[in-house]
Amino acid sequence: MIKRVEINYRGIFQKTLAKRIGGDIVMIAARMGQVGFSNGRYSDAPERNGIPCKYFAFVSPDLSEEELEAECGAKLDIDEANISVVLDDTMVKGVEPWAWHGVRPINEKVVPYGYMLVVSRRRPEDLVRFMARKPYPYYLAILEGDASFAGLWVYRDDLTHERVLGALAALDPQLLSIEAVKGYLWDKTHEEHRVEAAQKAYESVRHNVHEVTPLQGIDWPYEIPKLPKWHEFSEGVVVKAVPREFHLGPKGQSRNQLFKRGTTKSQRPVVRFDLCTKCTLCWLECPDQCFDPTPDGYYDVDYEYCVGCGKCAEVCPVQECIVMVDELAFEDNRSPWEHWKRDPEGYIRWAEEKKGTHRVLPNVVTGTGQRVVEAEPVPVGGKPKPAARAGA
Amino acid sequence: MATADKVLVYDRIKGVKQIPLEEFYTSGHRTCQGCESATVMRQFIKAAGPRTVVAGSTGCMYVANTSYMTTPWIVPWMHTQLGAGGSSAVGMAAGLRALMRKNRIPQEKINVISFCGDLGGGDMGLSGISGALQTDYDLLIIMYDNESAANTDIQATGLTTWGAQTTFSPVGKVERIMHRRWKKNVAAMLAVGHPNCRYVATACATFPPLDFLNKVRKALSIGGPTFIHTYDPCPKGWDFHPRYSHELGELGVRSGLLPLYEIIDGEVVYTYDARKTAKGRIPVREYLTRQGRFAHLTEEDIAHIQRMVDQMWDEWEVPGVAPFRGTLKVSA
Repeated sequence: MIKRVEINYRGIFQKTLAKRIGGDIVMIAARMGQVGFSNGRYSDAPERNGIPCKYFAFVSPDLSEEELEAECGAKLDIDEANISVVLDDTMVKGVEPWAWHGVRPINEKVVPYGYMLVVSRRRPEDLVRFMARKPYPYYLAILEGDASFAGLWVYRDDLTHERVLGALAALDPQLLSIEAVKGYLWDKTHEEHRVEAAQKAYESVRHNVHEVTPLQGIDWPYEIPKLPKWHEFSEGVVVKAVPREFHLGPKGQSRNQLFKRGTTKSQRPVVRFDLCTKCTLCWLECPDQCFDPTPDGYYDVDYEYCVGCGKCAEVCPVQECIVMVDELAFEDNRSPWEHWKRDPEGYIRWAEEKKGTHRVLPNVVTGTGQRVVEAEPVPVGGKPKPAARAGA
Repeated sequence: MATADKVLVYDRIKGVKQIPLEEFYTSGHRTCQGCESATVMRQFIKAAGPRTVVAGSTGCMYVANTSYMTTPWIVPWMHTQLGAGGSSAVGMAAGLRALMRKNRIPQEKINVISFCGDLGGGDMGLSGISGALQTDYDLLIIMYDNESAANTDIQATGLTTWGAQTTFSPVGKVERIMHRRWKKNVAAMLAVGHPNCRYVATACATFPPLDFLNKVRKALSIGGPTFIHTYDPCPKGWDFHPRYSHELGELGVRSGLLPLYEIIDGEVVYTYDARKTAKGRIPVREYLTRQGRFAHLTEEDIAHIQRMVDQMWDEWEVPGVAPFRGTLKVSA
């Protein structure tokens, strides 16, 4: 028997975290007399910031190490997962890794009556409404918390690592027992608060498991791209360029249709067009070219291509004009400029509702955390104020 | 501005409203969030326009832009080998010249641009670039410098800043500083050694605004082989949140650590004059403490970098450019 755990994480931001969880699953399973090994998905390397990636851990109580490795090693992806861990809840909208897998449902690999463990502060129904319908029931478990983001060198030690291990013990005690998790953490660190964090997560997740029936979820709107056969490649491995096309207005610029990578973002920019001074900076500084100049001098956003880096919000010289908002607040990728032109008041009301009352500002060194500040909303017709630079 | 700037005739972009709206390097690429090298790609091709052919050496901007049978390029683009930035530019320029001479294609100005990373250009491909800068072909080589082999998960190169953590220079318990080389001065080295090359510049895609766009226009207008070195803050390898990419470039330039200049027909023109007698510079601390790759530096380390930067601007014969000191003496 083999238990397969996949850890879905945001490239670079959660690389160290996912790797540590995967490695520790193997170490703890070994304490329980099981055999395990852990690896990253080959096609995710070299990782890019924000791109959905996967780490795997395989555990078996009865196979030898060689047999387990022969069964599970050197594969592009796994076919099924007993437990699918999701370290950032915005990935429930779909995951498009950079190796042309297409936009896949986050629950794609979960087996019947298997588990999804999502780190989130949302209610289960607010997550399921983005996820693909499955033909069989499975369980959604929620580990309450914020997505833990860090950079490549400065790790964010906010106990998410210990909490996920405790939560896994709650879902499948045969895979990891809570005693083994606690014993391992104590032996490794001799720090009581790490053991406690695992225990608390274990207790809370046991009461936060919800069955998802085949009636719940959505019809998946994305097609899986068809990979060309070897004889379908053109001579010299020529790739067709994007056709030249440009006009003013939404989607007026031709773009790469085969890789959109919008699932890279965990936040998206919301624009108050009424405050915009048409300074061009959001458009000019965008590394992903997702702002479309409009005939009236504004800049529309193509959210299909936006990766949510937040540069536009940072360079925008007007306070509250461009604000980064949690990706799960949005259902679609429609053009905000068209919405505003059609219904200016309705759009601003909608935008302000999405923006909420607080602003989350990441510290410059990602692993050192973030600041949450109260918003100073600017009313319609209000005088635009210069933005304060968030970078501290 | 200096006299050389007046001599050089080019189509200057005078304000942000004059920047061409159309993209020739478009959305849908595989770079990181907040990638400044993608901004370099986008801007150089915006400045050059659609009648341009581009070659790219192996590196981030190759793998991230033409992998898995899709591309964000609208202009013709060709992948070339890691160290072949210079030779591929010569090959393309020579091919175009031959085709025009034989009347196979109409006579017109087609820009040839070849880009390479700091590993591909500054370390591996240096001899090829040197060769290209001694030819009489019209070509531009852009070295986008994110101070690491960023495609393969951040290995140190000859252009990595002293003291930075990379996968080749991990912070140890016994040895804190594992990267002990000072950043290689590639642009100035090429300018000093290639008197036929009329235009060499350093730039940062986002600071000062418009500067990089106009430097590309100048390089393509002056004729002959030219070279631009860009400083690209890398959110992945330098470890800062992608939201602040533009700010890091500005701080690097204003601290004097990343000198911005043009060398036009042998004359040095400072884009940002970090000499104390001119605009001056901010402490390097403001730049270093905003990056996780320098999180292990002590006060002593920061003081060392500050000393090196001060020396570069206060003592060098050509400040920020050429590290010579003193007057000519005849040996006995």
